[in-house]
Amino acid sequence: MTDAVVIGAGIAGLTAALRLARGGATVTLVSGGLGGLQLSQGSIDILGYAPGLVGRPLDAIDDLAERSPAHPYARLGSGRVASSVGWLADSLPGVFTGDPTHNMLLPTAVGVARPTALAPPSLATGDLRDGASIAVVGLRVLKDFHPGLVASNISRVTLPDGGSVDATSAWIDMEARPGEADTSPLNVARAMDDDAFRRRFGDALARAAGDAGIIGVPAVLGIRQPGVWEALCHQVGRPVFEIPTPPPGVPGMRINTTLTDAVRAAGVRLIMGGRVVDHGGTSSRRGGGATDAAGRNRRFPARAFVLAPGGFESGALHVDSRWNVTERALGLPVSGPPADQPIVQEDYRGDHPLFLSGLAVDDSMRVVRPGTDDPVYDNVHAAGGVIAGAVRWTEKSGEGIAIASAVAAADAILKELS
Amino acid sequence: MTRADDVHDPPELMRDSLDHCVKCTICETQCPVAAVTPLFAGPKYVGPQAERYRTGDRSVDHTLDYCSSCGICTHVCPQGVKIAEINSQARAAMKKERGMPLRDRIISRPTLMGRISAPIYPIVNWTLGFRPARKMMQAVLGIHERAPMPVSAPRTLRRRLKKRGQSPPGSRGTVIYFHGCSAEYYEVENSLKVIDVLEHNGYRVLTPRQGCCGLPLQTNGLFDDSRRYVRRLVSQLQAPGPGIPIISSSTSCGLMLKREAHEILGVDDPSLADIGSRTYDVCEFLLDLHDRGELRTDFQPVPERVPYHPPCQLRGHGVGTPALELMRLIPGLEVEESGAVCCGVAGTYGLKKEKYDVAMAVGAPLFEKVRGMEPPVAVCDSEICRWQISTATEVPAVHPVALLHRAYGLS
Repeated sequence: MTDAVVIGAGIAGLTAALRLARGGATVTLVSGGLGGLQLSQGSIDILGYAPGLVGRPLDAIDDLAERSPAHPYARLGSGRVASSVGWLADSLPGVFTGDPTHNMLLPTAVGVARPTALAPPSLATGDLRDGASIAVVGLRVLKDFHPGLVASNISRVTLPDGGSVDATSAWIDMEARPGEADTSPLNVARAMDDDAFRRRFGDALARAAGDAGIIGVPAVLGIRQPGVWEALCHQVGRPVFEIPTPPPGVPGMRINTTLTDAVRAAGVRLIMGGRVVDHGGTSSRRGGGATDAAGRNRRFPARAFVLAPGGFESGALHVDSRWNVTERALGLPVSGPPADQPIVQEDYRGDHPLFLSGLAVDDSMRVVRPGTDDPVYDNVHAAGGVIAGAVRWTEKSGEGIAIASAVAAADAILKELS
Repeated sequence: MTRADDVHDPPELMRDSLDHCVKCTICETQCPVAAVTPLFAGPKYVGPQAERYRTGDRSVDHTLDYCSSCGICTHVCPQGVKIAEINSQARAAMKKERGMPLRDRIISRPTLMGRISAPIYPIVNWTLGFRPARKMMQAVLGIHERAPMPVSAPRTLRRRLKKRGQSPPGSRGTVIYFHGCSAEYYEVENSLKVIDVLEHNGYRVLTPRQGCCGLPLQTNGLFDDSRRYVRRLVSQLQAPGPGIPIISSSTSCGLMLKREAHEILGVDDPSLADIGSRTYDVCEFLLDLHDRGELRTDFQPVPERVPYHPPCQLRGHGVGTPALELMRLIPGLEVEESGAVCCGVAGTYGLKKEKYDVAMAVGAPLFEKVRGMEPPVAVCDSEICRWQISTATEVPAVHPVALLHRAYGLS
């Protein structure tokens, strides 16, 4: 029997597994497939909109907690968010730069200024500053990245201090693979791992960027080789920054690989390729999860569980045609959506109450019956997107909630085990 | 074509899953073939996307044949889309439409090849090592002249077992050994080691007469023949009696029984489900013993540093990497995971003249890792992957059980 089974391999599951294993627990992590972390932009959002643009995320969490007691941040509190994010960043040396007390503004693939707290240096170099002159340079073989669109939108941004940025755009004509007219950011990143390719790209980039002070490129600066970004900045003699692309997004892949390697190195047993289908135990404690491995179900007996499978986007939360919302791995009771009002609105971009549904938790992220503080089971905790009360994609709060809830769940389990 | 009643229409079962595709591209990022060549458009394009345009037996995408059937795409899909299975079925339909090369009919029948070679093994081994003969094979049959070929053993496993005598009654129980056809003709020594290790742990090992599981036929699109092979194997493995665990030391053949005969060939036979539900990869079985505190750990030190490559087909089992954990129980043995996705050969894919270069490019990071460590041996669960690794790197490759065998002092 292992001490803990973590269900889910996204940022919440990986963080919980790492915290548990570093804390001395034996851990098995099971997942249906690769986690959603690699689909992320590769940065750590804490709180970006509440609902206005947030400059100081920890302060905004304290305000939010007062206003919305059902929000996961009201349970977690800004102190635990700051220490958890800090711990994860320290656990992955050299990966992130930035500071949980302060948001940067990084351009997206359509040139919108996106608030985020921590990011890899290659992204963080793009933090928009008043008076900067940016050249956005794309590759013609990369059809999902339009430098003209990015540059024109960046030029429209009014920074919180009233400042603005001047952006121009240019193309580079260069094949990542011979004969391929339409390629993926990942294929370009693989080509960029090769020094000779990177040098040719750097030469073309310096010419295309004119006299701009800083150069923005799609996030393709290497996937396996470290140091591609640094070498390119050195070569062109100016700061270069990466702009995350739609999936396959390279910064998310890099972070996923680094964190998964750290989890593996910490001694976690990783089992991918099975849905959680069954669970044993008593009415107050779960005994063992099971997955539908090839041929038969495999059981995973454990003393405690962290359920971190994601929300609606992964299928962990499911809504049927009668608007019943269920949690699919362990069949736990779901909080919300409210019964007395429409759960989706006609305006696609409106606030849909449906997305506030999920699992209710107590301060130690133990899953409780909705509206009470009664644990459903003594040894089942939740982390990340499955927890009710936040609309992560409009708030830009996904990673902050995931990391802080994962650390809180892991710490509660470690305390019980000791 | 007639089919038995218990064969469902395979495309329907797997096609249902394509609606779960959210176009996240996770499969595209992990596909080892699309990473090295634009000849394969990638699992998402060829699978859930192209499948929408396939009606009846009409093929819409010629790059499909460059899929190596390694199965990584299905394994990593977080939405449960059966990408590899959809592609295998579409390829079978495409080959039916366009005709099957003679080469694919030959290399998909390892028992036939083994049986022909066994009585004249020195001649076969010599011929396969003889450059002009290999050039001729490439010209006539389309089997690449540098592709890995197995070495026939002087005696088949069956003859060796006859000499070895019956397995003694075990203190823990009885298991059935499903060795796969390569073990019968080529990897005979390794099979004997598997039996030794199981016996050492208190099991009586039954080795019933057994044929091919039909996997090579399946990956080459010969579904009807493949179904016939797997059904015959199922009845052979049922012969020793009900409920006995079946231990496989061939990762891909075990997966055929556990999953692929049902999911790709559409065989709904309850006896297949019974056999699949009690089939264990040998390392999965041994690690389960260890987890229950039942594995013997009287290991002597093996002071070596070796690379371990978990083969693609192991991932399909959904059991993690049990070999890695077992080898880490051996004192002094330092095991480094390859970190590579695939060795490239993927069954019979890398043998084919037109696929060889792709297969070698797929395997390049693995070969680099193996060569860089300068190890005495490389370790991998799957036999064809071992032949690929040792042919490419000139480092001998062994099954993880070979190291357990040594550590137990059995060799």
